[in-house]
Amino acid sequence: MTVQAIILLLLYFGVLLLITKPLGAYMARVFEGERTFLHGALGWLERGTYRALGVDPNENMKWTTYSVAMLMFSLATLIFSYVALRLQGVLPLNPQHFGARQMPEHLAFNTAVSFTTNTNWQSYSPDVTLSYFSNMVALAIHNWASAAVGIAIAIALIRGFARKNANGIGNFWADVVRCTLYVLLPMCLVGGVLFVAMGVPQNFDPYTVVTTLEGGKQTIALGPVASQEIIKQLGTNGGGFFNANSAHPFENPSALSNLFTLIIIWTIPASITHTFGKMVGNAKQGWAIFGAMAALALAGMLVCISAEQAGTPHLDAAHIQTAATALQPGGNMEGKEVRFGIAPSALFATVTTGASCGAVNSMHDSYTPIGGLVPLFNMLTGEVIFGGVGAGLYGMLMFAVLAVFIAGLMVGRTPEYIGKKIEKFEVQMAMLATLVLAASVLVFTALSSTIDLPKEGALAALNTWPGSAYGGSDSIYGAATGNLNNSGAHGFSEIFYTYASATGNNGSAFAGITANTPWYNTTIGLAMLIGRFLMIVPLLAMAGALAKKSQVAASSGTFPTDTPTFAGLLVGVVLIVGALTYFPGLSLGPVVEHYQMLALATH
Amino acid sequence: MTDLIFIAIAIAFFVVAIAYTHGCEKLRRGSDD
Repeated sequence: MTVQAIILLLLYFGVLLLITKPLGAYMARVFEGERTFLHGALGWLERGTYRALGVDPNENMKWTTYSVAMLMFSLATLIFSYVALRLQGVLPLNPQHFGARQMPEHLAFNTAVSFTTNTNWQSYSPDVTLSYFSNMVALAIHNWASAAVGIAIAIALIRGFARKNANGIGNFWADVVRCTLYVLLPMCLVGGVLFVAMGVPQNFDPYTVVTTLEGGKQTIALGPVASQEIIKQLGTNGGGFFNANSAHPFENPSALSNLFTLIIIWTIPASITHTFGKMVGNAKQGWAIFGAMAALALAGMLVCISAEQAGTPHLDAAHIQTAATALQPGGNMEGKEVRFGIAPSALFATVTTGASCGAVNSMHDSYTPIGGLVPLFNMLTGEVIFGGVGAGLYGMLMFAVLAVFIAGLMVGRTPEYIGKKIEKFEVQMAMLATLVLAASVLVFTALSSTIDLPKEGALAALNTWPGSAYGGSDSIYGAATGNLNNSGAHGFSEIFYTYASATGNNGSAFAGITANTPWYNTTIGLAMLIGRFLMIVPLLAMAGALAKKSQVAASSGTFPTDTPTFAGLLVGVVLIVGALTYFPGLSLGPVVEHYQMLALATH
Repeated sequence: MTDLIFIAIAIAFFVVAIAYTHGCEKLRRGSDD
């Protein structure tokens, strides 16, 4: 660990701690329907939105109504985006004249699903595929809506714990509108201006062609970047305006913008733990969750940064300086932005995969095997290490239910959490959510690792990369593994990472895989839908069941859940469930690769 | 035609998700009894 890394970690967690309490308390007021300092300026817009939608914000929805409203809203916006993407050629704000040729049906499906599910997986290169309209309307609507939906689901689950003998878990429409107006909008306005001040462009100009110092011509992509960048990070969306994402100097111009981005990604996921504590009437419950998330996060950061800083035996054998000095960063710099170096890159990798953000400022495919294992494992935990906005908290609460159940089995304590008895149905729902994620990751990874599509005939098209849309020629692949840059263990990791990212709604990629084919776009699309909605539904069912229960008073048999002991148990459950479920997959990928790396170095 | 297939896949998924919602509710009512 370098001094820079230690200072960065201390600074990062210090700022997060400072933000968590005030923002968490503010969000609790917003979702309890209390008046805040922004109601004077935005109250009329909230009331007008309800009137325009014909919504009664005071209607207390049963969990099934809440769930169906969420599903129908998501489907409607998904289809809207699909149609808008396919029609981008005839829609405005398209100075580069992109059309349906760049956005074939399978890619439009993947992209619309990707943004609806807060994944922002990008099988395409945005700079040569998307019009400004597609970016600002077809996709940006989801950057807001999917973030608001994730937070709304978390709030509904919190209400399940907080309410007693209640039939409802809140109003989906009111939660989404309040989140958008009072949480996302003001923070994006301020953050977007700060991004502009740091050098991120915000314009509608056509791409600029410049003459380089060598006399060549270079096209520089421009556009309304800052307004996209802020919601991309704040809403843990992650879809880049440019193909290089946050490694691009127009998305992430400096070390300051890099730190700002890191903070913005975890601002809401960290703060909502305090919202949870406030709404259930015991702030220490929120801090226990925060502590468990922070412990998992810090462990991953230390492993990832250390592995990248250590470099590889091959670099040592080639007599390349791997120790950090005043003039160079040392370690494994392959795939990393030279402006940032190792610690800010490895920290970014762990933050973006702990959250379901998926923005990247370095290429995870080029990390050392153990360094790359950490982002992969972060996603395989179900994105609960602070996690996506809302999604991290509801995922961690799912693990909390499992933790009190396991504690009950091990030490004979009554399975209770926040005064609610955890019974058969709650455990069934928590297990269902866990198993759905595991099944999606493992089944799709196994299929793509083994399926061999014919090289000719109708089925061959399932694995064809439409290169002609970009001025090249179409490439035909046989096996789905034919799209990989690497064979063997690293190639397997590329596929495993892809479906872990899709199911976890992360969106980052190992990047060594050409995913813009009908096979990958369709299966990744399905994995994103399963990972988002088939996890949310059982958690809403749990919220509905919990809200109906009465609160039981703590007794000598109650396992306290607002202590460091519980936070430790929660960490253990997350690690054990993750390890037991995915150890075989991790063994075939990064673990084998690590030993191969050591063996190659010694033979 | 291919557009309709992909839109149909999306709609079919959400129909399944709504059925899944009602399946979970049925399970909850069963556990109440």
